[in-house]
Amino acid sequence: MVSRPPTEDELVERARRGDGAAFGALARDHQELAFRTAYLITRNAAEAEDAAQAALVKAYYALPRFRRGAPLRPWLLAIVANEARNRLRSGARRESLALRSAHEAPAGDAAPSPEGALLAAEERAGLLAALDSLAADDRLVLSCRYLLELSEEETATVLSLPRGTVKSRTSRALGRLRQRLEVTA
Amino acid sequence: MSELELRLASLADAIDYPATPDLAASVDDALASRPRRRLRLRPLAVALAVALAVAAGVLASSPGARSAFLELFRLQGATVTRLVSLPQVELVAPDLGERVSREEAERRVGFELLAPAGWGRPDAIHVRDGRVASLVYGPAERPRLVLSQLDGSVWDGFLKKAAGGGTRIEEVTVGGERGLFVSGDEHYVMYLSEGRVLDERTSLAGNVLLWNRGPLLLRLEADVSRDEALELAEEVG
Repeated sequence: MVSRPPTEDELVERARRGDGAAFGALARDHQELAFRTAYLITRNAAEAEDAAQAALVKAYYALPRFRRGAPLRPWLLAIVANEARNRLRSGARRESLALRSAHEAPAGDAAPSPEGALLAAEERAGLLAALDSLAADDRLVLSCRYLLELSEEETATVLSLPRGTVKSRTSRALGRLRQRLEVTA
Repeated sequence: MSELELRLASLADAIDYPATPDLAASVDDALASRPRRRLRLRPLAVALAVALAVAAGVLASSPGARSAFLELFRLQGATVTRLVSLPQVELVAPDLGERVSREEAERRVGFELLAPAGWGRPDAIHVRDGRVASLVYGPAERPRLVLSQLDGSVWDGFLKKAAGGGTRIEEVTVGGERGLFVSGDEHYVMYLSEGRVLDERTSLAGNVLLWNRGPLLLRLEADVSRDEALELAEEVG
């Protein structure tokens, strides 16, 4: 008989009791999003790696204070975001976000994913550039909501903001993004 | 979702992120070298009985106080002086300053606040004198943890702490930077600004860990041992 893989709650419970292997499994499940979250904040791959790794270690030690039954993902990402923000004080080079299609497909061939089919490659590049040009707070809230696909509630946890603030900040950031796009259109 | 939101959402799969490193393996290695301790924080007793604020001028001008000087410890943004005995003091209530939102606190102090991982949102955030921000965890009358922070590069010497002869002061390292762990029940803080005494207040009755993190001076107060305080400090990010 094949035993079912442990659920996230079971892994969390085991990790709370000091099972490093269980935490390793949780880390593997969340490492991509953790790294991307750190990258969207630091815009530097090396710093993002350091931040995400340090955050996961901190999360393990903080796990006994994690509220049972609460969603793990936003709690972990909040620690990652904190750690990544701290790294911004260093003088590391900040990279601009780029679109995958620009590297993987010949010019003019958008090769879109199902979601990406909504936009032509040039439009997406323009949108990304406009997003990149926003102030850090605006960019971060929009990145959480739309690039990392976090819910409003998760974004609030990750950014340590009340949910209402996430809502209003998102709305204002969308307004400013719209203005940037109109100016460049 | 508006059209703009749909367009943004369509970017989610199109970003060219750097390849995700094998963080789980690195974390495994890090955990293997440092087992976790069990840490339970007790509420801090508000220290009116022993928290004694001194007229700072007494310490500065009293020959008795000067002659009773034992040791001086320096961090960026703080000094801790150990005296044979504390001068005569006046009892005042603890004051962390005005209670404000996190955004307002960050606006006033001019830097992003650090918080211990996994504690969630603090129960209250206070700012004192526009320079010292304090995150309070637990009920106001009996908090379990108070984490204060200030920009020590701007306000070097802003926080001065005096300790009695019975107080233990240990030099420690937190995240590779210098720190001091102050324990015992006979210590209090005095706040200065630009070389001028602003005020002095009692604090809460926990032990205190002071440490530098880049330009910041952090002050963690909780009813914890040195090792427990260091573990908490490692979680601050």
